[in-house]
Amino acid sequence: MNPTKLGREWPFRQRSFWLIGPPLATFLFFFVFPVGALLFLSFNRPNQASLRPAADFNLGNYNHFFTEELFTDALVRTYWISLEVTIVSLLIGYPLGYLMARTEDRRQSNFLMILVLTPLQVDTVIRAYGMMIILGDVGLINSALLAARLIPTPLPLMFNEFGVIVTLLHIGVPIMVLSLMGAMQNIDPELEEAARSLGANRLITFLRVTWPLSMPGVLAGSLLVFVIAASSYTVPRIMGGGKVVTLSTLMYNKIQSSAEWQMGATVGVILLMTSLIIVYFYQRSTPHPLGEVT
Amino acid sequence: MIREERGLGMPPIFRFGALLALIFLLVPMVVIVVAGLTAGGYLKFPPDGFSLRWVLAFLGLGPGSYVASTGEAGASPVFIRAFGFSFLLALSSTVCSLALGTMASLVLIRHNFPGRSFFQAFFLSPIMLPGIVIGLALFIFYRTLGLGLPRSYVGLLIGHVIVCTPFVIRTVSASLHSFDLSLEEAARSLGASALQTFRQITLPLIKPGVMAGAIFSFIVSFGQFDVTVFLAIPQQQTLPLTIFDHLRFHSDPIPAAAGIFAITLVAASLLITARAGDLKAFSGFGK
Repeated sequence: MNPTKLGREWPFRQRSFWLIGPPLATFLFFFVFPVGALLFLSFNRPNQASLRPAADFNLGNYNHFFTEELFTDALVRTYWISLEVTIVSLLIGYPLGYLMARTEDRRQSNFLMILVLTPLQVDTVIRAYGMMIILGDVGLINSALLAARLIPTPLPLMFNEFGVIVTLLHIGVPIMVLSLMGAMQNIDPELEEAARSLGANRLITFLRVTWPLSMPGVLAGSLLVFVIAASSYTVPRIMGGGKVVTLSTLMYNKIQSSAEWQMGATVGVILLMTSLIIVYFYQRSTPHPLGEVT
Repeated sequence: MIREERGLGMPPIFRFGALLALIFLLVPMVVIVVAGLTAGGYLKFPPDGFSLRWVLAFLGLGPGSYVASTGEAGASPVFIRAFGFSFLLALSSTVCSLALGTMASLVLIRHNFPGRSFFQAFFLSPIMLPGIVIGLALFIFYRTLGLGLPRSYVGLLIGHVIVCTPFVIRTVSASLHSFDLSLEEAARSLGASALQTFRQITLPLIKPGVMAGAIFSFIVSFGQFDVTVFLAIPQQQTLPLTIFDHLRFHSDPIPAAAGIFAITLVAASLLITARAGDLKAFSGFGK
């Protein structure tokens, strides 16, 4: 931005700065304060009768979390599932992301966007139901395999980690595709053309030019998919059938079935903090998340 | 000619891979639509023929068929009531998110101030944080405040607004980027008030972004499950919670009938957004 332009616009722009007030107040009061209350509560001694954060600071809940297998298992399982979902989403999503980045015709690109955004935006409960119809014991895959006499009994495809992962992939793949598409749009096609005209074959061009240049998208997409997979409550709840304990379902159970508010808050804080760390790295990979000043 | 050459960097197997990814994404959608239209008690291949009985049962119009299969008379209007409630909730949270999101975008895009990137990330962060933890945090906060917000309509609405506003900020910011500020300056210098300038110059020009933001936040609120869990109102459930409860105790495909409406809603609103502009830009990922 040139300095004369900035100088002309500054006084005019400043008048609208107050507009940040209402959204900032809303977010402070109903986002920052509640998270603060949750954090406070996680340092309180277990008390099933009260969920009011008290001025009683101790690390007992965190000590309990990291010494009991129930919690550490859920922690490891949550991030292990998220890692698997991230890697497989990348493998499935990469070609489509590339294709969409290279689709410049508005009609074609909007058509592909609708095909990718529709599954992403339909609610998770309904999508999980679709997966149940496909993966269940009397579901499409099992009934087809049974009818073809390829298997004697239904394969266990859901109410286990497999079902959770497949359904999370249905969320992860579109997000990965969109992140990759965003980053790959910035790769100048002429670089690939130059490599080709200098005699590199398609594979070498891909490995030496396209893949390295797409790394920002791979990184951003992976962080985003990982954090969203780890955050999901709906999918492990429905597709896990009570057998796949992740941090989100464990937090719910601690509160809903045994009113362990303080311990539930601790699980919530640990899930939130890990997410925040990943969000921080994600934002670092895109210095201005909404772009530069116009 | 140039189009052909642009594909040179793409190994041929990529087209096949892209097709596989699309199939993976779309098969569950197709399965839901087919299951919602099946005549039998559950979907199998080949289906037992097609009928609208589950769609009617979802709408609360075909109680006969519903009673016969599950033996629960009067349970079906539950869905259409929940649908109406979710619709109302999504509408109200969209109105609030539009107002808050547009205000935030105007400042986050046009002003250069210390910590600007931090505030951009801050306002976008609810998209990436665990919804169920946001819901629990709000529930604890409401209970501590003691203003009657836990499990109330306003309390639930606030939770939805927090997760919907980032989507508005993303789309409105996208359309503010291509905005020529001199148009506003011209209006102001010709004597228009700030409000007049906003209504007659700014708003018409950023309308595609506002529309897209409205649609996205409506969809996010309408299908919201995680944030709702701890904030839900006992007497009045949202549609996703109703479907979830139904899944636990029944095996009939009424959820698939609900899915037909959800898929239609999403696809139709994306078509409208696509008419207004480039979906790549509005998705918040494209340039």
